[in-house]
Amino acid sequence: MSFDPATIAAYVDGELDDLTARRIEREAESDAALAAEIARHRALRAQLSAHFAPVADEPVPDRLRALLVGDRVDTSLSERREAKRARFAPAHWGAIAASLVLGLTLGLRPWAPAPDVTGANGVLIASAGLADALDTQLASNQPANADIRIALSFRDRQGRTCRIFEGRNLSGIGCRDDGRWALERTMGGHETGEYRQASSGELAATAAAMMAGDPFDAAAERAARDTGWNR
Amino acid sequence: MRFEEELVELLPRLRRFARGLTQSASDADDLCQAAIERALKSREQWQQGTRLDSWMYRITRNLWIDDRRAASRRGVHAPIDDAVTQIAGDGIAEVEAGALRGDVDGAMARLPDEQREVVMLVLVEGYVYREAAEMLEVPIGTVTSRLARGRETLMHLLGEAA
Repeated sequence: MSFDPATIAAYVDGELDDLTARRIEREAESDAALAAEIARHRALRAQLSAHFAPVADEPVPDRLRALLVGDRVDTSLSERREAKRARFAPAHWGAIAASLVLGLTLGLRPWAPAPDVTGANGVLIASAGLADALDTQLASNQPANADIRIALSFRDRQGRTCRIFEGRNLSGIGCRDDGRWALERTMGGHETGEYRQASSGELAATAAAMMAGDPFDAAAERAARDTGWNR
Repeated sequence: MRFEEELVELLPRLRRFARGLTQSASDADDLCQAAIERALKSREQWQQGTRLDSWMYRITRNLWIDDRRAASRRGVHAPIDDAVTQIAGDGIAEVEAGALRGDVDGAMARLPDEQREVVMLVLVEGYVYREAAEMLEVPIGTVTSRLARGRETLMHLLGEAA
């Protein structure tokens, strides 16, 4: 074996220049001991990654998130927001959205425009304008005055395409499931009076916990749309 | 993006790093909490445009080391310098190869602190040697030698076929 252990480790860690890396690869083809050594190092990296990966998938404890997503600005406004938030904690928005859906689907508000949300087997599903926005709008290229803005698209750990959306009455995360957009997380939109900067931060944090890999860049997002958001 | 939002996005990874350092879920979250509080207090020291993740990892790691040193002064065993490491290294050699097969936590716990932090940064968090060296404020050669020793110990304890 003509490579020292440090060089082999550096190769596995991706630290070698291309030329040296290619020399190692070529030599490993005919040097079983070298190939075994590389495999040994790779196996350790894989074992460690696999062992610690679930920690990053755990939901972040509230006590940590609260340090960052609460209103920390020292103004009387923040106190009022705090008081409001106590009445309308984000967790309630799912219930509010659900009762809104119920009201709309029962036809109690016939004058209202087509609802953006319907329910199916206890799952909130995007419909009408919201479904259109999720279907067609690109975070990288959308009208400045769009009713619903797409903030981010990503792939979740189940392999679904998910998108953060922000609208007047409702913001949340929709994931493409079985040809529909299932709403995984919902909260008030930016005209509900409850909208805070922290809302988008909370959605981003939720998305970060759901995400597999990096969020889509413009090209990946376009490609996903062009293939119908399928897995 | 706001400072707090970027930090929120970092939290899952930061918790993973802290878990590897402290070997305990509750200690790791305590460490993260201390690091977040420190970061919020000294946020003007972070320069916009530089990497927030490196800065946070450095804060987290320094708080952890401070805590380990304090524990060591209180008499809790915590090898922190190279001389002590050498002794710990000899002790490890006595453990049968593969004795901790599959027990990554057990194997990591046997690493001296300065090897464990390098293993976490490079092998788990995926930083390049230069980035790890900057976070730990040591030369790159120190990173590679600590990494090499940490690796050998882990491979020995976990067994060849990981």
